[in-house]
Amino acid sequence: MSAVLQDQHTTTKDWLNDLFQVYEDGLNGHRDHPLAEFRRRAFRELQEQDFPTRRDEDWKYTSVTPMLKQPYQEGRPVALEAKDLESAVYPELNAVKLVFTNGVLDTRHSDLDELPEGLHILPVSQAMEEEETRRWIEAQVEQEGGTGKNTFLPLNRAFAGQGLLVRAERNAAIERPVHLIYLSAPGADPHFAHPQLFVQAKTGSRLILIESYRALESDSLYFTNAANWIELAANARVDHYRLQRESRAAYQIHNTLVRQDRDSTYSAYAADLGGKLVRNNLSTTLLNSNTQTNYYAIYLGNGKQHLDNQTFIDHAVPYCQSNELYKGILTDSARGVFNGKVMVRQDAQKTNAFQQNSSLVLSPRAVMDTKPQLEIYADDVRCSHGATIGQLDETAVFYLRSRGIPERQARNLLQQAFLGEVVDFMDLEPVAERVRALIEEKLREA
Amino acid sequence: MLHIKDLRVSVEDKEILKGVNLDINPGEVHAIMGPNGSGKSTLANAIAGREEYQITQGSITFDGQDLLDMEVDERAHAGVFMAFQYPIEIPGVSNATFLKSAINALREARGQEELSPVELLKLLREKARMLGIDESFLKRSLNEGFSGGEKKRNEMLQMALLEPKLGILDETDSGLDIDALRIVADAVNQLRGPERSFLIVTHYQRLLNYIVPDYVHVIYDGRIVKSGDKELAIQLEEQGYDWIKAEAVAG
Ligand SMILES: Nc1ncnc2c1ncn2[C@@H]1O[C@H](COP(=O)(O)OP(=O)(O)O)[C@@H](O)[C@H]1O
Ligand SMILES: [Mg+2]
Repeated sequence: MSAVLQDQHTTTKDWLNDLFQVYEDGLNGHRDHPLAEFRRRAFRELQEQDFPTRRDEDWKYTSVTPMLKQPYQEGRPVALEAKDLESAVYPELNAVKLVFTNGVLDTRHSDLDELPEGLHILPVSQAMEEEETRRWIEAQVEQEGGTGKNTFLPLNRAFAGQGLLVRAERNAAIERPVHLIYLSAPGADPHFAHPQLFVQAKTGSRLILIESYRALESDSLYFTNAANWIELAANARVDHYRLQRESRAAYQIHNTLVRQDRDSTYSAYAADLGGKLVRNNLSTTLLNSNTQTNYYAIYLGNGKQHLDNQTFIDHAVPYCQSNELYKGILTDSARGVFNGKVMVRQDAQKTNAFQQNSSLVLSPRAVMDTKPQLEIYADDVRCSHGATIGQLDETAVFYLRSRGIPERQARNLLQQAFLGEVVDFMDLEPVAERVRALIEEKLREA
Repeated sequence: MLHIKDLRVSVEDKEILKGVNLDINPGEVHAIMGPNGSGKSTLANAIAGREEYQITQGSITFDGQDLLDMEVDERAHAGVFMAFQYPIEIPGVSNATFLKSAINALREARGQEELSPVELLKLLREKARMLGIDESFLKRSLNEGFSGGEKKRNEMLQMALLEPKLGILDETDSGLDIDALRIVADAVNQLRGPERSFLIVTHYQRLLNYIVPDYVHVIYDGRIVKSGDKELAIQLEEQGYDWIKAEAVAG
């Protein structure tokens, strides 16, 4: 490691040490709490690891240096006003709302009481006090290694103090979506937030999760390092939405690890609109056959935004299906990265795996790096993958303009149509509508 | 209304129109005929403002304005409408969204209020019915998977909705069966009026049985080589284009 890198990582480790020390010092009588133990273990793990550099293959196009050099403060809660919540809450969803400001749960605005039957939501600190749930959480964490080392996971586990465990009981079809509203409010910036979710969808259950990230101030600086561990038991179905519009200066690393048992269906739907640097690590391990995995995502970057998607689907067992469609648009000096791995192991016969990444690069300074990777070791499978990078169809622009539609509007319509193909897959129509509106809003403001 | 003077147009540095002169007065219907590749679509596209068609010489004025100085959408606002020979398919943009955007963009440019969604829908339904277009068309993606005839009828629907001052039909008749041809002709005839003119580009005389033109021009090798009335179209139908070519070569 070069001296400069060494220095810089030392700086990062310094502020992380300081921050963890603040936590330790504040524990007082709770030093032996199982969550404190859990976090301490994670912090030790973190100390033994290095943050990735651009020499790591999976980080070739994304540098975490600017993100990690800030000495962040722990996010502090802010008293929200009604108007702050207005554009963040989607009343038409009738969701179970969980509101976090700067990473801290706001119980006043959250629906922790009167949950629908079969749905349990409890703080990780509490879950840790019960033998059974603690073991389940630890088991999730032990599986992380299977997807390759990711330093941001122990980082999340070391610092998250507000994590939640969401559980759908056996055969519970939970109709009301669970909406996690992560708000960044100006305050002690730059701040550090650690959204954390352990999701247990038991046999035959049905659960809809929506994560939305939003800044109340468009240029506040903070770092969100989110992590979700999601386990689907046999025949469970989880639909997982993520709507991201962080501030223009914000950093976000978003990690989701999914494990699926037989006959289960997991669908991820994501829209990345905000943020200065956003990196999504989404991976699924298939534990048993007949599963379905869907990843549908859009990214829309302008200015100097950097939006990076890494996905990994590990087909280790036969008769599983995966569909992956990522579409994005980059303008100005924005940069996009897609690195999609699909592994079809020798035993994964009769696998159906489809992967596509399509981008529009609309300015000479915008860049898209795409790397679809399909590794197949089984012989009786149906797999396809592809990547395209293109521009808007100018004859289509002309056609629209020749009907009196101004150029800007014509181009926006075509961009909306391009991304709309992904949005149309979103089953939950109110969310799809929100995403369409966000896309339109962003295209108009650009 | 439309005055074209000595218009020369090149595509990819190849000269296609080699000095076209044409005057269209309000209320007139002009037909442009000519063999394939003679420059008919080039003329239509140059008026509509397609960028690939470079104007190297000449002028086009429309209602006293310099048309060549206007953007594509401004030409539409001024009242120019071209029905495409090959309408573009645009997946993901619904026909209804497209038509609403076009109507409201035009109204805005003309200083009129936007139509409410209810008014719009009423208008769309009324005109669609007039053109024998099923309402389900409006929900579908613009021209995507439409048959040739459906695309052409969709062009006529747009024209009926946008009520241009000059409607240019670029081989709207080709590939249409007789019923569809009648619908297209009806649409044009209903729109005909003292202030509205048409330029009908066609390869065959057939359409001109239904839309009776005031003038017929024959374009050959980038020039209008003959003009006359509807009898000229009939003569072309009977005798083909060879005599025109021979005359043109003889000068
Ligand atoms: N976009 C284009 N690119 C290259 N050549 C073209 C293009 N459009 C027209 N041309 C050429 O210009 C000539 C006239 O074409 P066009 O105006 O389409 O004829 P018409 O409509 O009378 O059949 C033809 O030789 C054609 O090949
Ligand atoms: Mg033509």
